[in-house]
Amino acid sequence: MTTPAIEGRFFRILSSLLQVPLEQLGHDTSRKSCQAWDSLKHMHLVLALEEEFGIEFDDAEIADLNSAAALLDAVSRKVSA
Amino acid sequence: MTEGFDRIVAAVAGMEEAARSFSDECRIVFLRNITIEGIDTLLTRNLYAERIRPIVQFGGYGTMVQDVLAADGAAGSDADLIVLALSVDELDASYGSPGWTSHAASAQLEGLFELLASRTRATIAVHSFIGPLWSEQGLIVAAEDRDLTSQTAALNRLVVEAVRRHSPRFVLMDWERYLRRLGAESALDPRGHYLWRAPFKRAFLEVWAQQLARVVCALRGRAKKVLVLDCDNTLWGGVIGEDGLDGIQLDRHQYPGRAFFDFQTTIRQLAARGVLIALCSKNNEAEALDVIDHHPACQLRRADLAAWRINWNDKASNLSALAAELNLGLDSFVFVDDSALECELIRQLLPQVTVMQVPRKLHELPPLLLRDGLFDTLSVTGEDSRRTRLYQDQRQREQLRSAVHSIEDYLRSLETVARIHRADNGEVPRIAQLTQKTNQFNLTTRRYSEQDIRAFIADEDVEVFSLTARDRFDSLGLVGVLVVFIEGTEARVDSFLLSCRALGRRLELAMIARCLAKLREQRGIEISRAEYLPTARNAQVADFWPSVGFSVTGTADGGTRYMRLIDGHAGGTPTFVTIEDD
Repeated sequence: MTTPAIEGRFFRILSSLLQVPLEQLGHDTSRKSCQAWDSLKHMHLVLALEEEFGIEFDDAEIADLNSAAALLDAVSRKVSA
Repeated sequence: MTEGFDRIVAAVAGMEEAARSFSDECRIVFLRNITIEGIDTLLTRNLYAERIRPIVQFGGYGTMVQDVLAADGAAGSDADLIVLALSVDELDASYGSPGWTSHAASAQLEGLFELLASRTRATIAVHSFIGPLWSEQGLIVAAEDRDLTSQTAALNRLVVEAVRRHSPRFVLMDWERYLRRLGAESALDPRGHYLWRAPFKRAFLEVWAQQLARVVCALRGRAKKVLVLDCDNTLWGGVIGEDGLDGIQLDRHQYPGRAFFDFQTTIRQLAARGVLIALCSKNNEAEALDVIDHHPACQLRRADLAAWRINWNDKASNLSALAAELNLGLDSFVFVDDSALECELIRQLLPQVTVMQVPRKLHELPPLLLRDGLFDTLSVTGEDSRRTRLYQDQRQREQLRSAVHSIEDYLRSLETVARIHRADNGEVPRIAQLTQKTNQFNLTTRRYSEQDIRAFIADEDVEVFSLTARDRFDSLGLVGVLVVFIEGTEARVDSFLLSCRALGRRLELAMIARCLAKLREQRGIEISRAEYLPTARNAQVADFWPSVGFSVTGTADGGTRYMRLIDGHAGGTPTFVTIEDD
């Protein structure tokens, strides 16, 4: 379950790594819609989220987590698992 | 738990504004065939802390040569530091196939090194390569080093040779060492390698960034030059003023002595690199220096010290005085002390000084000074290793004036004990030997055989006194002889001598004072006569008798005769010699 606490931490990380203000980010933010979200930022995002939440994404799913919604969903599933 | 990478990114971004005012900047270019992004953020954070503003660029994947050659390439001609980050399996796609040798990779590296040396003016940070974690040969040791581990080692020898050849322009970032320190689990990221060509975890990047920051600091003249050390519980365990020379802990066979012993080893390693070593301790100077001079397990010796302030003044004043004496800025000082109070005092009063507190866990003490690379320079010259000596010569000149005072302290610290008594037959051989051999401190230079001495001892009208001495380190043995002829209420000194090993401790004063007092107490002697017979070797005692209260009565037989009354004030016993009677 996505809780407000998880969401807060998630978007804070997204904002500081993409260097995009929080208010410009939302669930619909994606690699397509956000220029700053390049493959290097994606790598740092994955590593930082794993570190922050103490989780590990599956190798194969990483390439598909291309939007804030998909990432947040994966984080929430792993945190509550 | 380490700080999240997103927080470091945010912290660095938050400092960008302030960093614009930093006067030092450094243009850094990474030439690479792997993904190392993240290193820029970590390095920037480290350099901001040193008030240096880095401008970081990355070259393309595998385009090292093009990046150097292209006129507008990343390396350009204006980079201050070029950092290589190469993976062998990207240099040579056949890496790992059976029978693989490093020849092709070696040739590429050699070419790249020469290109960098000739086409750029930058300092070049190269690195060692990390061998495979598992042996592809199993239990077999391959013939002719045809295994990946041996081939990687050969590449690393080539790298080290290149660094030596181009020193100080080339500098080695020892990736293999980072791996040893962190362990493969913390250092390497196999998933990152396959997903992003990013083989390193952040812990590894942090160690590398720290080392790169030391290179930049060295380039910008920020390396520390002076190491100032407290003594008690820093150089040794315990308190010399309370525990004494035998009680302090410095024994490498015991805990915690070994930690302090090993710490001293690293201090001497730094001294050999040209770091100036100084002491700043609240202690009696003589007692602390006694450890330096005489403790058998103390590796740090006076010859290693450029200066010291061992006194009861506050340490901030002492550090300022040391800076003035060494003529170096306090910003090149590192101060190490076990006391949180002293550390805090220096942090507040002298913020330019780098302060390190002795870790509470003593096993962390030995690597303390090497860990952060504060003293790292890109080369060591002959001048560096002579530096301590130069400062010492200067100090000795300046301290000559106060020498008398410090000699007294030194003698006191020796804790000399003198046993002065009537000679017995067991001492006859040594006494005869001394009369025959002693030349310098010998007032009359009369030579006697064992029979002579034995006859003197048996004679009611002759007194033979012997002096046996020891100090806190050792016994000096029988070192002084006084032969006195009794003539009624007068005593005539026939012979007085002191072995040269006992000179310089004022034992002669103790001997005369004690023997005259005995003659007066036990035999009612009121007047003592004495003489000095000059020889080619005994000029140093020409004025001895006047110095202990005798007056000249005349000259005879080429010598000078003296006399003094023996009153209550036999006088002259130095306070730092303890007399033992029997």
